[in-house]
Amino acid sequence: MIANILDGIVLGLQFGLLATGLTLIYGLGGVLNLGYGQIAVVSAITVALAMDAGMPVLPAVGLGLLVGGLLGLFLDQTILRPVYRLRGEGRVLLSLLLTLGVSFIVDGFLNWRFPLKALSLHIGGGAVEILGVLMRRGSLVASAITLVTFAGLFVFFRSTSLGRAIRSVIEDEDGARLIGIDPKQMLRLILILSGVLAALVAVTRSMVAPVDTKSGLSITVFALIVTVVGGLGNVVGALLAGIILGIINVIAAKLIGSYISLIILLGAAAVTILIRPAGLLGVKE
Amino acid sequence: MSGQFTGSTGTFLIGGTEARTSRALPALLIPLAAAGAILALVPIWIGDSRVLMGVAVLGLAFVCYTIGFNVIFGSTGQLFLCVGALAGVGGFGATILADNVGLPIVVSILVATLAATLIGGLLSFIAVKRSLGVIFTGIVTLIFTLSFDALLLGLSNLTGGDSGRLIASGADTLLRARDRVLPYYLMLALVVLFLLVHGLLRRSHIGWAFRALRDDAVAAELAGVDVARYRVYGALIGAAMLGLAGSTYVLTEGRISPTTFGFGRVDVVVLVMLAFGGIGTLFGPIVGAVTFTIIDEILIDFGQLRHVAYGILIIVLFLWMPRGVIPTAAYLWRRVRRLVEVRE
Repeated sequence: MIANILDGIVLGLQFGLLATGLTLIYGLGGVLNLGYGQIAVVSAITVALAMDAGMPVLPAVGLGLLVGGLLGLFLDQTILRPVYRLRGEGRVLLSLLLTLGVSFIVDGFLNWRFPLKALSLHIGGGAVEILGVLMRRGSLVASAITLVTFAGLFVFFRSTSLGRAIRSVIEDEDGARLIGIDPKQMLRLILILSGVLAALVAVTRSMVAPVDTKSGLSITVFALIVTVVGGLGNVVGALLAGIILGIINVIAAKLIGSYISLIILLGAAAVTILIRPAGLLGVKE
Repeated sequence: MSGQFTGSTGTFLIGGTEARTSRALPALLIPLAAAGAILALVPIWIGDSRVLMGVAVLGLAFVCYTIGFNVIFGSTGQLFLCVGALAGVGGFGATILADNVGLPIVVSILVATLAATLIGGLLSFIAVKRSLGVIFTGIVTLIFTLSFDALLLGLSNLTGGDSGRLIASGADTLLRARDRVLPYYLMLALVVLFLLVHGLLRRSHIGWAFRALRDDAVAAELAGVDVARYRVYGALIGAAMLGLAGSTYVLTEGRISPTTFGFGRVDVVVLVMLAFGGIGTLFGPIVGAVTFTIIDEILIDFGQLRHVAYGILIIVLFLWMPRGVIPTAAYLWRRVRRLVEVRE
């Protein structure tokens, strides 16, 4: 049982990190970025190509994160411009459709140019024993990176004035503008941050399973589901939802079998959305 | 007439600037007959190529899917991201009923269509009861799509798993005619039937309710329109179309696999086709689906680069023609006519 829960937490941390980048942009800008998974994939392919070219792992990963951030900035400066002019559901719909277009372009290009490229980072060394359970070193490193990232985000949003400014925009865009915060600037920052997070998702995921050019859609879809279950715009909610769904998935997989476990996972997500449309930690408006 | 972007009410894309529809029946039947006649002539043109006929049959299946999705999303504003899954319930349902249970083909199609209808209605009922917005309806139905896909892969002894299966029923009949002429006219009959149903629906009291709730659900509710009931009606009708088209198509095709109804293969494409033709318009689905089928065939040699072209097209489309081709053309036409009238 402990083994299952630990496995579930490892998977859940992945889910949580997956959702964070998406939930932040949605919470801040009401923008649903369906190209999120593609940012992750482009970063992954960048890392893989850089390593092929002989670059050591760490600089290659750094380059991947940079590319992720730049892609976020690029989206903000180009196709999201007209999106910001809309409000409410219109903004969500237009952002969803335009980023869907972006995801098509990226997928088409990558599958054409690098059809067989995939990133898998092998973390050397054997299994490690934790609480009497043998864990793969790759998943432990991935989990550690995720935890550090969450701790960093937590500190950033709680204790720095920039983080607080961003949170104030999430709560009330007009109010934030009144006290001299430029929501557009905050949005740009968050898009860069979300791009970096997407790249990080790709890197940590590749320590457990390969990330190939076709992973984009499934990354986006799972990020979306975890985001909604956790409550749109809620980072802690995303982490919590990720861990709960991760544990449910692993236990269901152990007890019943793999394909039904996916259905149970999805069912759990659906039930949460139906019972608490605002998400686990969401506040009803 | 509202502007292109109606702001916070969220009616962007599906809000209704729409030329007033004439109540006279010829105004519906004449364009319908014309569209049907044009499509009926296609086999004369490409009939000697089995490959192109196959493409055309698939294209008509997509016209059907797009009409079904249009009834659900365009008429009642429910973003159903399970178009492929509902068509798949029809397709796989009919296959299993005909091959494994041994029911006659027509009965299998009808039962499978009924199943798709009920599932569509149930999803809509849940969304309406929990008053989910556009995005949440989208996510719940997307979850249904993913679960359906998982189920298909899991029940591989019935569905053939990843690689799919061949359908034995109807193998030696005209359904599988090698020249694909009968399948073509069968799907065309469905297209005409669906358009007729949608057209008649739009001029019935249900159509008035649809327009009212799509423009402003709260105002419609206050005016005495039972929004919940009409949303479920829309989903039932649309899902029935999806199930019927999916089951008929696979039985003429003779093989079925999860990708036949995959999310990326059907839902995304149908959304783009409908947005291109014009969401909520009667003939938008035909324009969108036929155009995209032709573009797809022209670009076939470009392989994966086709997706790049689609992506660019999607972005251009939604940035400059968010209402789709037909409404934009109609708008331009009205402008031109007004200019001419002023001059006279």
